[in-house]
Amino acid sequence: MTNLSLDPPISIVRGQPQPGAPDNWRRFFTFSTDHKVIGVQYIVTAFVFFLIGGILSMIMRGELITPEADLVDRTVYNALFTMHGSIMLFMWTFPVLVGLGNYLVPLMIGARDMAFPRLNAVSFWMIPVVGILMLASFLVPGGPSQSGWWAYPPVSLQNPTGNLINGQVLWILAVAISGVSSILGAVNFVTTIFRMRAPGMTWFRTPAFVWAVLAAQLIQLYGLPALTGGAVMLLLDLTLGTSFFAPERGGNPILYQHFFWFYSHPAVYVMVLPVFGIYSEILPVHARKPLFGYRVIAASSLLITVISAFVWVHHMFASATPGWMRMFFMVTTMLVAVPSGIKVFGWVATIWGGKIRFTTPMLFALGGISNWVFAGITGIFLGSVPIDIHVNNTYFVVGHFHYVLYGAIVMGIYAGIYHWFPKMTGRMYYEGLGKLHFALTYIGTALTFLPMHPAGLMGMPRRVASYDLEFAYWNVIASIGGFLLGLSTLPFLLNMVSSWIRGERVGNNPWRAYGLEWLTASPPSVENYEETPIVISGPYGYGGNKPLVEHAPNPDLTDFPESFTPQEQAS
Amino acid sequence: MTVERVIAQDIEASVREHQEHDAAGNSKFGFIVFLLSESVIFLSFFTGYIIYKTTTPDWYPLGVTGLETREPLINTMVLISSSFVIYVAERYLHDRKLWGFRLFLLATMIMGSYFLWGQAVEWRGLPFTHQSGLFGGTFYLLTGFHGLHVLTGVLLQLIMLVRSLIPGNYDNGYFGVEATSLFWHFVDVIWIVLYTLIYVWQ
Amino acid sequence: MLKLRAILILSIYAVLVTLASVWMAKQSYAWFPPEASAESKLLDDLFSLFTGLGTFIYLGVIGPFLYSLVFHRAAKYDLSDGPPIEGNKWLEIIWTAVPLVLVLTLSFVSYRTYDKMAVRGPMELVHLHLPNVVPAAYAEPFDSTPQQEIQQALETAPVEQIDVLAKQWAWVFHYPEADVTSTELHLPVDRRVKFSLRSQDVLHGFYIPAFRLKQDVVPNHAIDLELTPIKTGTYRLRDSMFSGTYFAANQADVVVQPYADYQQWLTTAATQAPTPAYNQAAYEYSRTGDRRTGNTKPKVAVRGWDTIPPAPPPMVNYAPKHEVNSPPA
Ligand code: HEA
Ligand code: HEA
Ligand code: CUA
Ligand SMILES: [Cu+2]
Repeated sequence: MTNLSLDPPISIVRGQPQPGAPDNWRRFFTFSTDHKVIGVQYIVTAFVFFLIGGILSMIMRGELITPEADLVDRTVYNALFTMHGSIMLFMWTFPVLVGLGNYLVPLMIGARDMAFPRLNAVSFWMIPVVGILMLASFLVPGGPSQSGWWAYPPVSLQNPTGNLINGQVLWILAVAISGVSSILGAVNFVTTIFRMRAPGMTWFRTPAFVWAVLAAQLIQLYGLPALTGGAVMLLLDLTLGTSFFAPERGGNPILYQHFFWFYSHPAVYVMVLPVFGIYSEILPVHARKPLFGYRVIAASSLLITVISAFVWVHHMFASATPGWMRMFFMVTTMLVAVPSGIKVFGWVATIWGGKIRFTTPMLFALGGISNWVFAGITGIFLGSVPIDIHVNNTYFVVGHFHYVLYGAIVMGIYAGIYHWFPKMTGRMYYEGLGKLHFALTYIGTALTFLPMHPAGLMGMPRRVASYDLEFAYWNVIASIGGFLLGLSTLPFLLNMVSSWIRGERVGNNPWRAYGLEWLTASPPSVENYEETPIVISGPYGYGGNKPLVEHAPNPDLTDFPESFTPQEQAS
Repeated sequence: MTVERVIAQDIEASVREHQEHDAAGNSKFGFIVFLLSESVIFLSFFTGYIIYKTTTPDWYPLGVTGLETREPLINTMVLISSSFVIYVAERYLHDRKLWGFRLFLLATMIMGSYFLWGQAVEWRGLPFTHQSGLFGGTFYLLTGFHGLHVLTGVLLQLIMLVRSLIPGNYDNGYFGVEATSLFWHFVDVIWIVLYTLIYVWQ
Repeated sequence: MLKLRAILILSIYAVLVTLASVWMAKQSYAWFPPEASAESKLLDDLFSLFTGLGTFIYLGVIGPFLYSLVFHRAAKYDLSDGPPIEGNKWLEIIWTAVPLVLVLTLSFVSYRTYDKMAVRGPMELVHLHLPNVVPAAYAEPFDSTPQQEIQQALETAPVEQIDVLAKQWAWVFHYPEADVTSTELHLPVDRRVKFSLRSQDVLHGFYIPAFRLKQDVVPNHAIDLELTPIKTGTYRLRDSMFSGTYFAANQADVVVQPYADYQQWLTTAATQAPTPAYNQAAYEYSRTGDRRTGNTKPKVAVRGWDTIPPAPPPMVNYAPKHEVNSPPA
């Protein structure tokens, strides 16, 4: 009936009480150096900012439900999308993925913590500072930055109030601090992954998620400094009157765009790669099959790291880029389809012929992948210079990137949170609420972001508070969809809070999953493993009979939770 | 104190012991990764400088024809030599000769400070400011950003010097000194590129 | 048995997908504004190709995906694992090679289209003086109509030169030969037009969706853009590169008319003395009232922050008549 052995799990000494115990939750508010605490701190903080960024977008969709600029003043609208984009990227997507990585990477590689636990805590505590700076900019005279999340000069250098402390300065400071935090984090991840894998865990026994995190963090290391350089110059222009990007003083605003996109293009892969890793971990577990083509999937992450360094000009096809640049970067951009395709096809082959169970994490992963294929294809459209020249800076682009950012990445993050929720808390979430959450999210995504594509093809520019009547139809649909997306977060919140407090207790490995993280207690003790596991086989042994580690069993069945008996599963 | 907590602390202690010898290696690895990343900031500034210089019609502000190279060259020599001096210091430490270490570290600091002082003197004497077009902006950006790194290096050396006075401080390895020295070489290499770009290529 | 079913279903599916892709490719023409320039035809063809191929790839991936979800679900009480298949070398090679070939093809086709459009665009901002990777345009005669239209327009008539000035937040069009300025862009049909794009302050984007063309406008740097209008009518020109507070209102009308009418318009306009044109940004700004006591536009529910004041309304020979307070047409 099953290929898995039934030995009991390694007994783990509990180093800490169960969560929910009175002295326990407080550690999440301390300067803890435990990677698991920091991981949860990241995730929860980021989610708060997701809600804030989401509320800003609700106001935007409210404005856009009618063609005129009548809900908020134009300056307010401009501030809204600037802060929405900035918060969603710098305060939600990056931190939440760093949080998941923080929680999972040491567990997955059998390490006791990150390489530099204190540095890790320092990186985290910069995040609230960034958030406070961003939010504080709503209170300064002149309001927050209103130049979009790119902060392109000369608009970003125009300072209507003339004050030294203005929204734009705060924005640059916030982004710079977030950059420092990310670089320190990246150093930490790279060192951890290179040097702290358990004995026997060769590169090709390292889980795909770890590969993906490594690939993403390498991008941070080579890309972020360029953005930092550009930001420093922009700040000097803004405050000290240098002329780097100020055309009226002889500067070159286009150079800023190169600095910006040299990082911010690769940054989109910083965000998507860990999500690829999440898909790669979840599909094998819930389809009960090894990850198909694991080695190429793992290696293609690094290929993306490399290629993504050479495509940034595709964001500037319509700016002052000469023809040869347009053509060169068109080819490099399209090449990204190759490693992306390797992953997608590998995932499809993984579920093919498997024993699929539609659990909530599985649903989110599957939905995310389908959205990713769609978004990737519209990305290829954008990569074609003639097409991009038409749709650049229109809602087609907005549709493209929300399909990735929301459809693939946010859904992937949800998948990851549900999947590892029992590991983090020792409790199971509620399936019913989870499935409701999935349905609302999936429908909401399509309703909100699909209509943006036709609107863009018709020529609706982005970043407009008012628009011509011809676009009203699609915008009304998008706004309704947007509100639905807002609602969709409520079952999630309810699910997380209530399951954490009173969800059903499950064993260490409710999914009967392979992977070191499932061999330890749920939640893991402070030191993760009583003794360092010695890895003796590859990461996805489903259907085979190879044990994963020495002296220890395969995923065991004894912990299978009551509510997850197969009867309910199959429904 | 609960039993659990006692056990936890026990385990933590033993884990720490187990990982101690790895920790220094990790720190070194991490620090090199960090420096590589840091070098990209300079790389982007250099790229910016090259692009500005090759595309700007009136590169030098009115009344400026170029930069004086003699004093900066002396400065450069001092900085480059100091890289050797700190290496010697490190060797002394390696051989557990603390006084030699302190002496040569101090020498490095003096040379680094001389460099900073020379830079300051040069800045004061210049007929242009950071607002004098792209030339002025990039000049002060590059030298200033590099100068900040020199300052950081000197401060790190100061910390190392003070720490060498704590008895037994370097018994279990001296990663801090290695890092400081590595950083100093890094600052040096950056300066060579910078000097070539700004002073040699006029 | 199971295999056979899969092969059968998938073959039928492949046929359906092909049909669907062709249908979508045809459909895609309807998603655009009218084809008002020769270049737009080139683009729509390219887009249609991408749509067809994109549909094929999307359905090609989603089909097996859904098939699997429907037919490979775990049965009740089934706790067993699937087969331990870890990969397949040939499959992996194929699905690396096929996308590679596909994207190289797509790049090449896009390059051809771009080449045929011959929009010029900016020169190297950074004077690298690399060998011209993109060879001079219009070299090659090509049998498709749009290309011929571009060719003809080039050969039969001299290129119309128009200077475009973008500022916060207005468009001013200057016709150097007739020395006419206007805030409405008039173009002769079937003639090659060459714009020289300049900005007075920040980045703007010169974008006419009906022409499918767009070019950012950069201060201190005149950028050329060429195109051939082929259909009379009135279209919209929109600022596409975010340019600050009144960005959304920075729009203008484009009137493509027969050459004679165009000439007529030019001569009439030349006789007109320059007057300040209606300007939406200036109008809205003037109504923001006392900033300190708040309220901006009376209609707006949430008041705003300080803004860069708009440039004064442009003085032009010709400006379209605007109802005061009417939203842009
Ligand atoms: C994480 C986010 C993310 C990801 C992963 C991507 C992925 C891609 N993006 Fe996207 N993009 C953004 C986020 C993202 N993007 C954002 C935020 C912006 C706008 C920023 C702003 O302006 O504010 C943007 C904008 C943007 C532009 C600029 C548009 C413009 O401003 O004019 C372009 C242009 O080339 C582009 C292209 C691509 C491509 C080619 C991919 C590729 O990686 C996609 C590759 C994937 C596939 C192709 C699908 C799977 C592959 C197969 C099934 C194989 C077979 C396929 C083929 C043969 C085609 N993106
Ligand atoms: C990860 C990134 C991310 C995410 C998740 C989102 C999510 C959403 N985005 Fe955003 N978006 C960006 C990144 C993102 N966006 C970026 C980078 C830009 C470009 C900015 C720029 O141009 O500079 C942009 C721009 C952008 C625009 C274009 C603005 C313009 O160009 O004029 C629009 C318009 O509709 C939009 C809409 C939305 C909507 C409706 C959602 C929805 O998915 C949001 C769903 C809503 C919620 C999740 C909130 C739920 C909360 C509640 C309902 C209240 C509950 C509250 C409590 C309990 C306290 N976004
Ligand atoms: Cu030279 Cu434009
Ligand atoms: Cu990109």
